[in-house]
Amino acid sequence: MDHALERLDGTWGVVLLTVLLLLVVGWYLSYLAARLDRLHHRVETSRAALETRLARRAAVALEVSRQLAPPAGEQLRLAASRMVRAPDAPVSEAGENLLARALHQAFADQKQVTRLRADPATGELLDELVLAGERVQLARRFHNDAVAHAQRMRRKKVVRWAKLAGTAQMPQMVEIDDSQPESLAWQPPPQGGIA
Amino acid sequence: MSDVRPLRIGMVSPYSFHVPGGVQFHIRDVAEHLLGMGHHVSVLAPSDDDTELPSYIESAGRAVPLPYNGSVARISFGPVASSRVKRWLAENDFDVLHVHEPSSPSLSMLAMWAATGPIVATFHTSNPRSRAMSAAYPLLRPGFEKLSARIAVSEDARRTVVDHLGGDAVVIPNGVFVDRFAAASPRAQWQGTTERPTLAFLGRLDEPRKGLQVLTAALPEVLRAHPGVRLLVLGRGDAEEALAVLRDEPAAREAIELLGPLDDDAKASLLRSVDAYVGPHTGGESFGIVLVEAMSAGAPVIASDLGAFRRVLDDGELGLLTRTGDAPALAEAVRAVLDDPAAARARAQRAAVGVRRYDWSRVAAQILDVYDTVTLGADKVGEDPRLGLLARWRPKVS
Repeated sequence: MDHALERLDGTWGVVLLTVLLLLVVGWYLSYLAARLDRLHHRVETSRAALETRLARRAAVALEVSRQLAPPAGEQLRLAASRMVRAPDAPVSEAGENLLARALHQAFADQKQVTRLRADPATGELLDELVLAGERVQLARRFHNDAVAHAQRMRRKKVVRWAKLAGTAQMPQMVEIDDSQPESLAWQPPPQGGIA
Repeated sequence: MSDVRPLRIGMVSPYSFHVPGGVQFHIRDVAEHLLGMGHHVSVLAPSDDDTELPSYIESAGRAVPLPYNGSVARISFGPVASSRVKRWLAENDFDVLHVHEPSSPSLSMLAMWAATGPIVATFHTSNPRSRAMSAAYPLLRPGFEKLSARIAVSEDARRTVVDHLGGDAVVIPNGVFVDRFAAASPRAQWQGTTERPTLAFLGRLDEPRKGLQVLTAALPEVLRAHPGVRLLVLGRGDAEEALAVLRDEPAAREAIELLGPLDDDAKASLLRSVDAYVGPHTGGESFGIVLVEAMSAGAPVIASDLGAFRRVLDDGELGLLTRTGDAPALAEAVRAVLDDPAAARARAQRAAVGVRRYDWSRVAAQILDVYDTVTLGADKVGEDPRLGLLARWRPKVS
């Protein structure tokens, strides 16, 4: 027994400890890599979702623009048609901001919105536009949250030193104006109706 | 309104349905609303075997009492609960998993750990930054990284998420079946008259954060202006402490009627009947569902100026706000409402319209939008392969 302990103290002990340490380090690195992998996956999925939502908003905005008088209608039509694109095309932040501005301009006047809503079909179209806008907001929130987590991991010293991210690009947040025109904001249904 | 395809939704409650509580009611209501819309919903919750549960609730076994956030919660946590969670996930093939309050050790946390794919979490509580949370966070971070979407039930709950956990959350309020309250029938015995107006208080009697002691302290002053006032108190617990301040005020003591705990219908009727609802809470409220219920029933509201209440009442547009914990100020506000019932009614009418934004028809649609967004192009909910060496050896997809 004493003999065995003595030997552990010596060379064997050092070897054993080194092997253990390597195993722990290896496990930790692979654990970090798995987490990073998952975060990258989340970033990709949420980005694709955001792109789908943006394309949808543009399509509805284009349809709405046909109901508006020029020049606001024309401006909206131009801005929206530029953003109607294949769902997997990259997001153009400048283009989306232009669309947001065109929407704000087109619906700056509450009275005009009330007039538009007088026609039930147009009212429905406006509801759809608001819904599409809300869904853009959600998708962007979720995407940017995923990006924030991924960036945090990528900045870790261990992750950089061990090159755990490989050649994957640093994920970037999507910074666009996704605010909705005040005049389109949700209104309580007039008489206790079901929305 | 909703164009979301039918989804298979798994929801996890941290607390047992054996005990009533805000989180459980929220889960029950949202589950029932979504079921009514044609979605598949299964709720996993701790429960004692002898409790009768609706068919969509699955029992995850016994719950143990654990003090949490100032009150006692009954939760399940441990290897047995963990394997139950895994079995439930495997059996159900969910499109989306929705865990509630996953930052406390609970079934929700276990489910968050066990699953991959689209996971949504709702955070209900608001509490100031705590040391324990800050210390625990590095351990919890990997779990929270898996959440595709985070929902907070109020701006205050969102602040808590941002401060404690980093990142962001979308605010989707608690829901109320507004029409259930709006259509409840008043009961004559609770309706006030000009001579004898009625006030309502709802909440645990012996939980200081519900503020009954503030209201009882304000009562003598109210009675000096309106000697006929009756205070109807609904809730369980021991009223001894809250009534202690009235030892030398027999008139005030007599103005208080303890109704004990009542069922949902009676609660709605009470709120429909009274001349004002008083919410003297002193803290711990992240949303203020009871205010929303009172507003739905058309009762004029007087409440403390807690952040959550301020927001629900649109900064006093929809009800009177008084300084939190300040009995004289509360007495004055109650008097103001009783002095000018017409103004109070007008405010209550505005409130009854504004409160529609909390109706389940709208709130559930917002929750569905979250589900729809996180499931867009995503895989189904699956079991999380163990992180680490073994996971690395699997062939890499994508």
